Amino acid sequence: MASAHVTKRAKYKTTIKDPGTPGTLRMTFEKILFVPHNPKSAGKLDVEFRYIKGQKHTKEGSNKPPWLNLTNNQNGSFIFEFENYSDLQECRDFVGKVLAKGGEVSEKPTVAYPDEQLSAAEMELRIKLLQEDSELQKLHKQFVLSGVLTETEFWATRKKLLDREASKKTKQRLGFKSAMISDIKPSTDGRTNKVTFNLTPEVILQIFAEKPAVHRAFLSYVPNKVPGALKQFFSSSSWPVNNDPIMSERTFWTKYFRAEYLHSTKNSIAAAAEAAEDEELAVFLKQDDILASEARNKIRRVDPTLDMEADEGDDYTHLPDHGIFREGNKEMTESQNELYKRSLSQDINRHAAVVLEGRAVVFLFENIHVSLDCICSMNLNVDVELEDTKAVAEALAQSKQKSSNKGESDGDTSRERLDRLSRMTEIEDLQGPNTLPLAPLCIKDPRDYFDSQQANALRTSGDALGGIEQIKCGLSTQEVYGSLRESISSIKAMGLKEPIFKPEVAHQVFDALTNSISNTKYHIGKNPQESVLDRLPRKTKEELLHHWTAILELLKHFWASYPITTTYLYAKVNRLKDAMSNIYPQLEEIKGSVPSELRHQVSLLVRPMHQALDAAIQHYEASMQKRSAQSGERPNGYV
Amino acid sequence: MASAPSKLYADDVSLVVVLLDTNPFFWSSSSLSFSQFLSHVLAFLNAILTLNQLNQVVVIATGYNSCDYVFDSSSDLNRSFENGRMPVMCSSLLQKLEEFLIKDEQLSKEEPEGKIKSSLFSGSLSMALCYIQRVFRSGALHPHPRILCLQGSPDGPEQYVAIMNAIFSAQRSSVPIDSCYLGSQNSAFLQQASYITGGVHHKPQNLDGLFQYLMTIFATDLHSRSFIHLPKPVGVDFRASCFCHKNTIDMGYICSVCLSIFCKHHKKCSTCGSVFGQAQSEAASASDKKRKTPET
Amino acid sequence: MPQVKIIAKNFMDMVASLPAIKLDLLYRNQFICEAILRSLPPLAKKYVLQMLYIDIPITSKSLQEWLLADGSSKHKVAIDRLIQLRVFEVIDRKKETTYKLNSTFQTNLRKHMISGGILPREPIPQSVTARLPTSEELDAYAHEQWECFLLQLISSGQAKKSTSFSSSMMRIFQRGLLRQRDKEAPRLTESGFQFLVCIMKLMALLPLFCVCGLMDPYTDKLNEGKIEIGSLSWPLYLNWKTLMQLFFCHFVARLFILCSDFHVLVQEQGVDQADLIAFLLELSFHTPGEAYSLDTLTDDQTTMIKDLADLGLVKLQKGRKESWFIPTKLATNLSVSLTDSSSRKQGFVVVETNFRMYAYSSSKLHCEILRLFARVEYQLPNLIVGAITKESLYNAFENGITAEQIVTFLQQNAHPRVAEKIPSVPENVTDQIRLWETDLNRVEMTPAHFYDEFPSRDVFEAASDFARMHNGLLWEDAKKMRMVVMAEIHMLMREHLRGQNK
Repeated sequence: MASAHVTKRAKYKTTIKDPGTPGTLRMTFEKILFVPHNPKSAGKLDVEFRYIKGQKHTKEGSNKPPWLNLTNNQNGSFIFEFENYSDLQECRDFVGKVLAKGGEVSEKPTVAYPDEQLSAAEMELRIKLLQEDSELQKLHKQFVLSGVLTETEFWATRKKLLDREASKKTKQRLGFKSAMISDIKPSTDGRTNKVTFNLTPEVILQIFAEKPAVHRAFLSYVPNKVPGALKQFFSSSSWPVNNDPIMSERTFWTKYFRAEYLHSTKNSIAAAAEAAEDEELAVFLKQDDILASEARNKIRRVDPTLDMEADEGDDYTHLPDHGIFREGNKEMTESQNELYKRSLSQDINRHAAVVLEGRAVVFLFENIHVSLDCICSMNLNVDVELEDTKAVAEALAQSKQKSSNKGESDGDTSRERLDRLSRMTEIEDLQGPNTLPLAPLCIKDPRDYFDSQQANALRTSGDALGGIEQIKCGLSTQEVYGSLRESISSIKAMGLKEPIFKPEVAHQVFDALTNSISNTKYHIGKNPQESVLDRLPRKTKEELLHHWTAILELLKHFWASYPITTTYLYAKVNRLKDAMSNIYPQLEEIKGSVPSELRHQVSLLVRPMHQALDAAIQHYEASMQKRSAQSGERPNGYV
Repeated sequence: MASAPSKLYADDVSLVVVLLDTNPFFWSSSSLSFSQFLSHVLAFLNAILTLNQLNQVVVIATGYNSCDYVFDSSSDLNRSFENGRMPVMCSSLLQKLEEFLIKDEQLSKEEPEGKIKSSLFSGSLSMALCYIQRVFRSGALHPHPRILCLQGSPDGPEQYVAIMNAIFSAQRSSVPIDSCYLGSQNSAFLQQASYITGGVHHKPQNLDGLFQYLMTIFATDLHSRSFIHLPKPVGVDFRASCFCHKNTIDMGYICSVCLSIFCKHHKKCSTCGSVFGQAQSEAASASDKKRKTPET
Repeated sequence: MPQVKIIAKNFMDMVASLPAIKLDLLYRNQFICEAILRSLPPLAKKYVLQMLYIDIPITSKSLQEWLLADGSSKHKVAIDRLIQLRVFEVIDRKKETTYKLNSTFQTNLRKHMISGGILPREPIPQSVTARLPTSEELDAYAHEQWECFLLQLISSGQAKKSTSFSSSMMRIFQRGLLRQRDKEAPRLTESGFQFLVCIMKLMALLPLFCVCGLMDPYTDKLNEGKIEIGSLSWPLYLNWKTLMQLFFCHFVARLFILCSDFHVLVQEQGVDQADLIAFLLELSFHTPGEAYSLDTLTDDQTTMIKDLADLGLVKLQKGRKESWFIPTKLATNLSVSLTDSSSRKQGFVVVETNFRMYAYSSSKLHCEILRLFARVEYQLPNLIVGAITKESLYNAFENGITAEQIVTFLQQNAHPRVAEKIPSVPENVTDQIRLWETDLNRVEMTPAHFYDEFPSRDVFEAASDFARMHNGLLWEDAKKMRMVVMAEIHMLMREHLRGQNK
């Protein structure tokens, strides 16, 4: 068996006269790789084999050195000079093999699907479209499956359909969970007083986002394993980073959850006691000072033009009729432990803010597949590999940094950011339509054409189609305007006459209209929307409409393939022509199948189809004749 | 709240925008006198306003050189009841119409010879659509709008593009265009306008009974149209005007890029600038190209 | 000629119920012709318009030619209405039904098309009246008067916090209340109390009805059976029924007391009903906000206008020399075709899937209406927050409000935001409301008697056969010889058993 690659020393020449760059030529089934010995020289080459069309080489025994010339499909070439003929021989054989193989591979799809690399999704979409539209399915069946049109050709004319489907996809991104972190319920095994918290990267991210103080503590306490660049970044970040890491991640989380646990027990005295003992623990127990400063900033950013008066009036709680009717259990707070109490409403507000802000950060790190199941327990040691957590934390810091930088850099940008935020928080499926709903334009119903044909047929009996009527007007502009003004002033003077017209005329008109209504009802059908087609038998009607769409499809492809420049188009036109000539007998068949009283109608309807087909076939024949006259030339039907 | 056509008044409340043809050349040759026409139309407008307190009527005069609003029943002047009644309404409309005619006349000092004496239908149609768009956007509730064209002068093929654009935008915003043709021929524009927008086109046989036609056919509100049979013209004249000479044509060339219509072969599309291929010398090819028009 | 049964459901129905001579008299007034035209269903309007200038009778067939397949029911409604109002005269000729427009009506309407109507009085110029209230002020005034009155009606039964509503309107109300027993001292008699309860119930239903029925001018969703609450059989019932139906027809038209008033007035003072209607309709063509002199009115009209002022239809003002009245929008809205929904107000209720309900309204009346079937939890200046609970609904069901009415009310009054969605009220809520109602109907109460300890099987079987024969056997247990028999045949049963014992 031939090896999968060939490696030879060779010189690469761009032209024959080029002295060449010495280097190594390596060929695999997929590509040709030339690496010059001197890394600074420019002759590096990396070509895929499918661009190579053929090869030429010098013969042994001729006075030329062993050259291999590979031509690509843009008529360029790569020339390699080998050290000896045996090397050349080996490479030549290899290239020959690859080219033969590539030919096989690339030959096949050109028959059915030239250059078609369909993704599964696209395929699915097409199938869906076919399933939804029975007419499309019929056409597809008729032409594609019978080989008149290829799959690509068929869909090429319907790109819009595919695009529209694709654009329907939602652009909405996944947000934070609306569940709060306090909902992370510790699991207890019931026997020991061991409490286990399950940490996922998602939860960690959420904790960091909602509690900047924890985030900061994490960055400062937990050993920094990140390489220099990031470290540098952190030292420049707005928060003071403690340079002596004193905690492992596990202890960090243990402490955190201990604090959380204390909160959840609502034992503020115990919390205060513990905080006094443990400085780090106190961090978690205290009010989040970063949040507080952020809140102050936010308040500063509130639009001063906002009318605050309305809020003053909102305080109706003291009135008997207003306010929330509540059970009267008020909580007494102990002021000295206030510091270690967090109110639920604060948590909720913070959570809501984070959820609304979205999770842009997450997307920065989507590619990090964090697979950690951190189990922190109150008194159990678990080894956790938390490098990823670190990364998440830092990313969050980075994005915070960015946004805060932006906010500081320009006073206006902060408002801009708010605007953007409010726009971002619009969730698209909850939005009402921004513009007036519009009816879709619909002008391509083939029935319209039938209607006009019918009208033309009928009109021949009535008034002539006639050009534009020239108003015979012997009067000058002045005179005509004058007479118009005169009639206005006469009405003004006289007022309206009563009766404005004769009752007999009214009756006549009404009778005439009623008659015409009942006549059209009889002739055209009961419904004003009905046309000639609806009076035909259902089957005939459907057949006619189907033929019409089929003919349209064929003609569309037929005319689109002119001028014929390639043999491929030539073959296609031939296929189409055959398909078109097959329709004639089918149309005749329809004509024959309808009852005699409708035959005239049907032939009226079929006539435009005939005309269209005739024109196409006539054109085909004319171009064929021309082609045979200039048979020496390349096949090109259109000059 | 964003307004949307879905927030229409429920039943038969309608906004009728009437386009009055005031082309002096037409009226000087018409069998129906202009004063007779006006009296029928005024009575019709009155009837529409009587039908429902919330009904609204706007009249736009389509002149030879210009067009303008001549009456709006919702404007402050006419809002009050007696003022909106006949005498005041009538005189204010006539007054405005007269002023409009004087202005229109001033615009046409030079004698237009040989030209088709058509009215500026495209202009008044666009004005009507603008008015309706404003109504759509004005508030939560608005009446069902429709446009009624009372036209007698022949089509001006040079307005083809503008009119077709107006028609399609009317269709997009689901505003039906009713048309009543008073001339001796029939108007392809009006037929197409009504056909495309789902309005009624009618050409009265007996112009003396115009009021009866207006009442029987064109006073029918959109709500009632869903269960009433209205006269339907047999066949619609779908002919287009070419972009180059503004002639109405049966067959022609179409730019494959922008769908502009030409009566002769051109080297370059005047609308989008695409360069066309060489015309074929054979006579057959010309007809081939024409055949393509209806199909694509 | 179709048999026309006139059931007064709204103002126009009341007009339609007038005797033929009076109707013809009414049609001499141009404004009434126009008001009648406006009140017609769309198709009927079209028929009138197209026959405006036709003198000869038109066959019914030629009218039907114009109809599409699904239009025939609308056609029938339109024609019936036209005949009811005597706008169409029916002439039967050679088996063919033909219609002709009422000639007085026709001439007047034709005149109207040409020349418009001229009011019998001109507005007083600004120089005399000095400053007139702005339209906002007028609206506020009208609204206040109306709400005040309604609230009075609603709350008068609940708590005795009757304010000093001493207007003639209230007097009329009381007159109506005690009419039956005007010889007695003016206190609430038994029937008076019953009446009040009835009013309460009516008031509970009315807002619901009034929105239910407004939607389609062609269908009438009001079920007669639902109106007849309790066993009211006293004379005033009819009046109050009219009242209620008027209320039903147009919540904003605010007409109902007037009409009940008519009946009172007609009966007591002999004021002609037709005159009143004519005056009211005429009033509706006045310009709101303009002042009209009181001197132009007849004596009857002057008495009437005072009552109208109490209702907020007009505002009375006195100048230095003369006094005048200013019609408010309420008055001018009277002639708006009452059957169309054009005056439908914007909804205000949002119902969530968790049965909470938010009503954006500052109206006390709305609050009271909501209280009928929901628990109002708190009230903010422009928002009422409540919940639909089982208890609150049971309360409503007890008052005779049906689930269907509640659901329709919620749907019709849905806030524009949610009204766009389908369904506007969450399905789980509507389903639950219906379920709770059917819960109440799960057990059917039938008064019955229980028999046991029969002396022998024969006696038992004979008794059960007897009961079955009278269709009164509800349950039997042959083994233990026990049975339950409907109370109606208890006496018969006893007779029968006695006979057996002998």
